[in-house]
Amino acid sequence: MTKKLITTLIFLLFQFGVCNSVEPEEILENVKQENRARNISKNIRCMVCQNQSIDDSSAPLAKDLRILIRNKIKEGDKDEDIYKFLTDRYGDFILLKPPLKLKTLFLWFLPVILFLIGIFIIFRHNKKARLN
Amino acid sequence: MKITKLPYIFFIFILLVFFYLLTVERNPSKIPSALLNKNVPLFETESLLKNEKFISSKIFDDQIIIVNFFATWCKPCKDEHVYIKRFADEKNLKVIGINYKDNPELAIKWLKNLGNPYSNIALDKKGKIAIDWGVYGIPETFIINSKGIIKYRHVGQITKTIYKKINLIIGDIIEDD
Amino acid sequence: MTFYLGNFTLWLSLFFAASQFFTVRKQNKFNLIRSSVNGLLISILISFFLLIYAHVTSDFSLLNVFQNSHTTKPLFYKITGVWGNHEGSMLLWILVLIIFNYFIFKFYNKKNYLFICKTLEIQAFIIIGFIIFTIFTSNPFERIVPNQSEGLGFNPILQDPALAIHPPLLYIGYVGFSASFSFSVATLVLGIKNLPWHTYMKPFVLAAWTFLSIGIALGSLWAYYELGWGGWWFWDPVENASFMPWLLGTALLHSLIIVEKKKSLKSWVLLLSILTFLLSVIGTFLVRSGILTSVHTFALDPSRGMYILAFTALLGSYSLILFGSKSKLFSNNNYFVFFSREGAMLINNVLMTIACATVLLGTIYPLLIEALTNDKISVGAPYFNSTVIPIILPALIVMGVGPILAWGNENKIETFKKIFPAFFLTILATTIIFLFYQKYSPVGILGISIAFWIIINNLILLSKKKFYYSIGMIIAHLGIGLLILGVTGSSVWQTEKIVKMKINSQIKINKYSITFNKINEIKGSNYLAIQGNFVVYDKNKNIITILKPENRFYPVTGIFTSEVSIHTNLFRDLYIVLGEGNIDEGWIVKIYHNPLVVWIWIGSLTVFLGGIFSINKNLRKLKQ
Repeated sequence: MTKKLITTLIFLLFQFGVCNSVEPEEILENVKQENRARNISKNIRCMVCQNQSIDDSSAPLAKDLRILIRNKIKEGDKDEDIYKFLTDRYGDFILLKPPLKLKTLFLWFLPVILFLIGIFIIFRHNKKARLN
Repeated sequence: MKITKLPYIFFIFILLVFFYLLTVERNPSKIPSALLNKNVPLFETESLLKNEKFISSKIFDDQIIIVNFFATWCKPCKDEHVYIKRFADEKNLKVIGINYKDNPELAIKWLKNLGNPYSNIALDKKGKIAIDWGVYGIPETFIINSKGIIKYRHVGQITKTIYKKINLIIGDIIEDD
Repeated sequence: MTFYLGNFTLWLSLFFAASQFFTVRKQNKFNLIRSSVNGLLISILISFFLLIYAHVTSDFSLLNVFQNSHTTKPLFYKITGVWGNHEGSMLLWILVLIIFNYFIFKFYNKKNYLFICKTLEIQAFIIIGFIIFTIFTSNPFERIVPNQSEGLGFNPILQDPALAIHPPLLYIGYVGFSASFSFSVATLVLGIKNLPWHTYMKPFVLAAWTFLSIGIALGSLWAYYELGWGGWWFWDPVENASFMPWLLGTALLHSLIIVEKKKSLKSWVLLLSILTFLLSVIGTFLVRSGILTSVHTFALDPSRGMYILAFTALLGSYSLILFGSKSKLFSNNNYFVFFSREGAMLINNVLMTIACATVLLGTIYPLLIEALTNDKISVGAPYFNSTVIPIILPALIVMGVGPILAWGNENKIETFKKIFPAFFLTILATTIIFLFYQKYSPVGILGISIAFWIIINNLILLSKKKFYYSIGMIIAHLGIGLLILGVTGSSVWQTEKIVKMKINSQIKINKYSITFNKINEIKGSNYLAIQGNFVVYDKNKNIITILKPENRFYPVTGIFTSEVSIHTNLFRDLYIVLGEGNIDEGWIVKIYHNPLVVWIWIGSLTVFLGGIFSINKNLRKLKQ
């Protein structure tokens, strides 16, 4: 009798304690649509977690947003529309890949700038060396 | 200025930024609302205590309104409730509640026990309204001016200091109107 | 008792560090210097062991033990838990600083004592800085009153062998770059031209880089099997904080070799040494100041942040200004030939540095934006993946062929003849593996071919047995190739199934069938668990293994954890996570088929081995 009680208790405990990321009921039947949903989700930040996407997160809000994204895909929304819907409400913060805007230009172009500077420095050094 | 001085300048600049961020009051995990200075989202839903529907365009009229997202299963909501009541009673402000992902019967009991400061309460059983408001962690409290523009949002429990701060902000909003 | 002794030994260490700082200024007082160095080492060792002792004996009169330990914790984790928290890990930081300090002193002789003394002066300054930080903002020997009889428990996620040894290894890396920093600053201050200062730096850089590599790999391994997300790298700020010194450290290591062989790039090496350690300190700042949130930041406290920031500013400004004014002494006018071994290394250097700058910018960009515009943005994994990977890929291609090139000008036709077999074999191997795995993507093809390119080139070098090629280098490069194989395979060919399963139901993934056999209840030493038994069959109905993922509940802290079950072989991992559920409706089950993952760990171990070989060879050469 006590053993059954413990078992039930354990099961009850785990109902509330353990969560999942994407759940089976959420998965869309259309594979292409589901892949789109997963890709978009991987780019959406879980607002209540530390540095996770809603695709990985077990938070309730993450689940709500995952379902919302899938519904919008089923209704025929394009990826950009879905992103706009989310950023209108949560700001650019919700995007894990920073959008290309004036304030992120430096972020996206620094590697290229550095590369050019590196090449420039080396060629200038070689030019000076050749003169000697 | 030689181009080779740039890295040093960048280094100093970064240190200054870090210094500034350490001294200023900030919470690394809270973000500003994307709806600031935008119109209140329109929505229609059930009302908790009244028989009629909750239609946002009718409820958000020509006065300052405080919107508070809450739930019975949320402990900080219970802890801050005394301040929500003070907004309604002491400051005579119109306070709208939005009951997030909750059981309506439990909510009615909860309000009976703790007191009801809300002139109207919208039911957001699925959390869709919260998403439209950019809500991510209840309790959240919004201040809306008489023109229906969202002017301020606070995420999290309202404490004594925050209550004072919000009152000052409300004062400013009234002046601007 | 431990409170008094612990604080005493900390202050004693500070005393010895200060004594070292002042005695090395009278460079010929060898005995005084030696006493300071030895005294410093002994006092910090005692301090460190006292903290271990306090944890092991569950001395809850110390706040650190109270906050982080518990009487039911297994002995091994009581010991390793010493550095699993902020204050204890700072003590470890200082210990490693002082151990490296001791080895710097071991080089002291009549010819180099001016140089070594200046290096010890810098190192002492760093040590003093960190001891003061620890004593005043992060003291592990702080008391808690009144006396407690039990600790606050612990995080069960931290009770893990990989996570236990990950900090010491990581810190030998991270903190070890302090030695090359000190050598570099000493070289600049004294304008050393008559001593081979780079020869002194090399063993320390080798040691730091080798252990940083394995430290990072262990952290990833832990994340893979513990967190249950099927991944092993998340571009989290704490991960980035360790990756940045690694990238620059790699550039530094290669540049040191160029300095040895061709006497050029000296000023670049001096700058890299400074920047690598500065990044270690900035990384420490980012992680411990509370300025960022991440999956595993330590306890947050603005005063700590202020101190580290001030210390970074001091150290950084001094060393960079010094470099700015003195580096001209070390520049030379050697012409760079791109198509040569040093040209390949130079390309590697440039790319590693750009990669490091990109990771740094991505990590701190949200902070910059917040400070400048009061707006908040996120820079997450998608950004780093789209920027850092394209930067590293060319470096990897060059790495395949670089070691074969001669120093100085290389004949292009000769080279093509040399690399043609490897080129052909690479295409062959890549084609074969894609026939097997059948999922094509441009990134996948690129990654796999680069991996094979590196592996095959280095295997050929090994087989040639011409040991003027450093065997450590060949093994380390081979390791990187194996690692890339694992990284690409597991990213590109991963398949995932998420289903709800009732008992006795079955699911197919790739060529396997998995049957949900039963649910067990487990009573562990300090937890209760539900365990699922999943029998894995191959296509011939043979049983491969039984996977047993668990969901655990730890009563003491009220924490739920999910224990992943993994079956590994050389070709793939089968990785299963048990979600929530019940007998009637079934359980949510997440299954990953991760090809080639194990090669990431094998590759990392090989890199470590290569490093050890190189350290060994380097030390033997030095003894002569």
